[in-house]
Amino acid sequence: MRFPRIFPRPKSEYGIWSWISTVDHKRIGTLYAVTSFLWFLVGGIEALIMRVQLSQADSTLIDPELFNQLFTMHGTTMVFLVVMPLSAAFFNWLVPLQIGARDVAFPRLNALSYWIFLFGSLFLNFSWFVGDAPNGGWFGYAPNSHVAFNPTHGMTYWVIGLNILGIASIAAGLNFIVTILNMRAPGMTLTKMPVFTWMTFVTSVLIVLALPVLTVALIQLQVDRLYGTHFYNTAAGGDPVLWQHVFWLFGHPEVYILILPAMGIVSEILPVFSRKPLFGYTFLVFAGVAIGFMGWFVWSHHMFTVGLGPAANSAFAISTMAIAIPTGIKIFNWIGTMWGGSIRFTTAMLFAISFIAMFTIGGLSGVMHASVPTDAQQQDTYFVVAHFHYVLFGGAIMAIFGGIYFWWPKATGYMLSEKLGVTNWLLMLIGFNLQFAPQHWLGLDGMPRRIFTYAENMGWENTNMYASAGGFIMALGVLFFIINVIYSARKRVPAGDDPWDGRTLEWSISSPPPHYNFEKIPNVAHRDDWWFTKHPELIAEYYHDEHAGELRAPSGAQFDDDDFAEDEHAEAHASDHHDDDDHGHGIHLPDMSYYPFILAIGLTIIGAGLMTYIPVIIVGVVILLWGLLGWSMEPVNDPAPEGEAHGH
Amino acid sequence: MHHRLIPSKFLKLALLVPALAATFIIAACSPQHPQSTFGYAGPVARDQGDLFLFIFWIAVFVFIVVEGAIIYAAIRYRRRDDDKIPKQVHGNTKLEITWTVVPSIVIAIIAVPTIIGIWEQQRGAPTDQGDILEVEAIGHRWWFEFRYPNQEVVTANEMHVPVGRPVNVKLASQDVIHSFWVPKLAGKVDMVPLNDNLVWFIAEEPGIYDGQCAEFCGIAHAHMRFRVIAHPEEDFQNWVAGMRTPPVAFEPGSPEQQGQTLFATHCKTCHTDDSWRQDAYSLELQQQDSRWATWLADIENSRIVSAPNMTNYSQRNFLGSGIKENSRENLIRWITDPNDIKIGTSMQAHAAVYQERADNKINLSQQEVENIADYLLALKPGDISQLTAPVITGGTPEERGEQLFISIGCNACHSLDAETTIVGPSLVGIADRAGTRTSLSAQDYMRQSINDPGAFLVEGFTNSMVVPKLPPDQVDDLIAYISTLK
Repeated sequence: MRFPRIFPRPKSEYGIWSWISTVDHKRIGTLYAVTSFLWFLVGGIEALIMRVQLSQADSTLIDPELFNQLFTMHGTTMVFLVVMPLSAAFFNWLVPLQIGARDVAFPRLNALSYWIFLFGSLFLNFSWFVGDAPNGGWFGYAPNSHVAFNPTHGMTYWVIGLNILGIASIAAGLNFIVTILNMRAPGMTLTKMPVFTWMTFVTSVLIVLALPVLTVALIQLQVDRLYGTHFYNTAAGGDPVLWQHVFWLFGHPEVYILILPAMGIVSEILPVFSRKPLFGYTFLVFAGVAIGFMGWFVWSHHMFTVGLGPAANSAFAISTMAIAIPTGIKIFNWIGTMWGGSIRFTTAMLFAISFIAMFTIGGLSGVMHASVPTDAQQQDTYFVVAHFHYVLFGGAIMAIFGGIYFWWPKATGYMLSEKLGVTNWLLMLIGFNLQFAPQHWLGLDGMPRRIFTYAENMGWENTNMYASAGGFIMALGVLFFIINVIYSARKRVPAGDDPWDGRTLEWSISSPPPHYNFEKIPNVAHRDDWWFTKHPELIAEYYHDEHAGELRAPSGAQFDDDDFAEDEHAEAHASDHHDDDDHGHGIHLPDMSYYPFILAIGLTIIGAGLMTYIPVIIVGVVILLWGLLGWSMEPVNDPAPEGEAHGH
Repeated sequence: MHHRLIPSKFLKLALLVPALAATFIIAACSPQHPQSTFGYAGPVARDQGDLFLFIFWIAVFVFIVVEGAIIYAAIRYRRRDDDKIPKQVHGNTKLEITWTVVPSIVIAIIAVPTIIGIWEQQRGAPTDQGDILEVEAIGHRWWFEFRYPNQEVVTANEMHVPVGRPVNVKLASQDVIHSFWVPKLAGKVDMVPLNDNLVWFIAEEPGIYDGQCAEFCGIAHAHMRFRVIAHPEEDFQNWVAGMRTPPVAFEPGSPEQQGQTLFATHCKTCHTDDSWRQDAYSLELQQQDSRWATWLADIENSRIVSAPNMTNYSQRNFLGSGIKENSRENLIRWITDPNDIKIGTSMQAHAAVYQERADNKINLSQQEVENIADYLLALKPGDISQLTAPVITGGTPEERGEQLFISIGCNACHSLDAETTIVGPSLVGIADRAGTRTSLSAQDYMRQSINDPGAFLVEGFTNSMVVPKLPPDQVDDLIAYISTLK
């Protein structure tokens, strides 16, 4: 059965429509990266406005309502529109390349994830233009987010926007779980998988389990706001503490969703520029899995001042402190990787080292507020602001910038300038520390978070001024990154396939990779397989310690292609049809499709309808069904036109 | 492929960053920080601060070890030879077990005092350090209400406590979540609707301690501050007595008296100003509940909101929930246009006197605003030494007594209706009862009660009577009048 087509299936590889209909994981990765980088600039500008406002006491530059909107949107943007999708850009670009696959398991679902993310992010930010940006904090605490106390539409945008974004995240999470489990090249057992791919796997599991929790909370808040239910309406007996439990049950795993990909990135950069394998691969991977697991048992440390009682507080204090142990293992193993190595200070490496240094500070302050009595003085102060920026900026963003510098040559085929890169790094590191180190002190000096101004006799002025200056130095650093991108794009210094003497499979193919990635699916024998392919004489040395000189035969972890005959990927893997000399010819990749884009539009219109006028939902549903049916009835590949048929 | 070594000056610069940070922290340490968590003035904050410092020094040690190792590795193992490939070490199980076990021990060392601290603070105020003062703090958008159930005192934004005595504060909220935080006295505890909490503290030194709402609660969150004022025990008791004492009556026609009328017309529905009355405490509790219910029933158009109690307002140090000095000038600014000082007040958003005008400023003349301010700034417990009795001539003793009764304000507390109690007992039928109270005759008993109100107290009443020193003939006139009350 065929769904009637209104327009022909896209074929062109150029132009805007080729981007809209692409199902290529690399192009989707680029879309994610560009979009979320733009949101990074938006979130950064929001932060700078707040920093200007706070640089002086009793400042009247902006009013409290705008300030509340700014910090709500800054947090929401940086979490949901920047760090998560920037990580997704890396997942998309790298996972198939690192595991020797030609695409992700569900390429069209992958496209759908991106388009939903894009429309969801636009939906959320559309609220700025109607003057009703969300103003209840990224944590949306009830009942302050309830319509009685928050009658503007801001929090409704927030609720519906986040739910749209959640669909994108869950779909992407499922996609990467299936991809990583099923599409590894022959020989790549789980214990030979690159650590970035491992962390992507753990993150994807967390996304699939955590985002639905948020969805539940958001739907409850949505029906509270729109239809007058009482889930969190305290006036009718709804419990505001329930919101906190549900939100943080999502919210804490979310923190690890944000940081684990960064840990994966750093675990790839450090070995390459230390010219040494990752120290304690197994420990490091297990520590990552342990963090992902333990991340579910610490949520109430966001609620130590809520009054949960001493038993609950004690339990969550201990579980929170315990999570420092696997985190510490990772830090020591990264240092162990550098130890005895031959360290080359590229921009990527400088960012990766800064990640360890800054993340350590964030971890140490984290242990401080894991201690409940101490946290009573720190909760909801700038101490916490400093803490999580050390984790999320000093940690996640530093690692992501390192990752950009590291894989840019692979993705584009040319180098970024190292000179501009080091300037970028240095400004960001200095600016970051100037902004956030003093905020530890501000918190201990009693400055609460989320206040739009403060009185001049509080003793906070100078420190805030330093912090604001730091913010602008950071912004200058980011500006240098943009300059670098433009400058390098003009210069186009060719990168070659393997500019850094890489270790994993992505460095074994050309830069940029061909659309089919691997002409021949590689056979994997070792961790860091590409490195040992280049340096076979080092294999014995690597295995010597572990297995007392005994070399283990590579084990096969490949699925049987035949089992997946119905899957669109079976075709992508059918690489044995080389019927001429053209590289890649005969490798079947799924054809492009408009339907993910259409479906995402339908979904967003439904969201808009929920906010405005119910009949609009019908329009959205019709478009959504069109996308859904068209998609499900569209073959992965159209039958080849006459004359070009090859015996498949 | 190009290799580039970053000169070690970059590493030195990188080292500068933590050093720089430390400098700021030290530079910022000057003693006048009103919300410093290190300015301990009580055992709770001190214990929390000590535990912080204990963890902090452990963290400093770990910080030095880890950051030192990073910097050492970066310098020691920098690439010197492009062709040399270091030993391909896969790991070291013994080392890895070590850096799993050692942090676990460190964590355990931190966990022990943490758990002890949690249970200690949960135990509530110590019972062996004097009578515990019970206070109920209620967070409102965007001000704090303080109720003293045992003293039957209610006030707002400035919480008075005795020095050295434990204070138990029951924390509650009707609207959204707020958080009660006085950094120098105790870490914060949230005020959660439907989930009352408890915090306790002891203020060891007299002083004014800054507090602030620490949970984001909406538009005026930044301006939701309060003070804890710790007095020596005697001053605290005087404050309590003052809160139960009526203010001096105003001269008819004075600005204060006109302000009182204006206040009664435009403000009093929400702001109680006379909680010194006998049953005012329970009445105020009911009124706050009904104000809240009224607002909730029609959130958009309600002309009534929960509002701070204004009893003895002139004793307040700050206005607008602790954000500006309580001066006449600021008060006039505040009344005229609250937005000018604190954006988003419920008062301006709801009170009719602001809603009547398009620009939401008060719909009263400058003079009227000043009168209200003068009235509020005259609200203080009556002071006997400042009271003088007017000289009244002519008429019968009963007529002179009646004028006197009203002009010195006896009627503010003593009702002329047998069914009503204001503050003091109703005086209806006093002539019949007076002779039975003590061994004194009716006349002498009444004379004693006027000259020395504390000598004999009717059951159920406290001595809060304010009366000027009256010449004997005026006392006689008063007795003559009172005796006629039937």
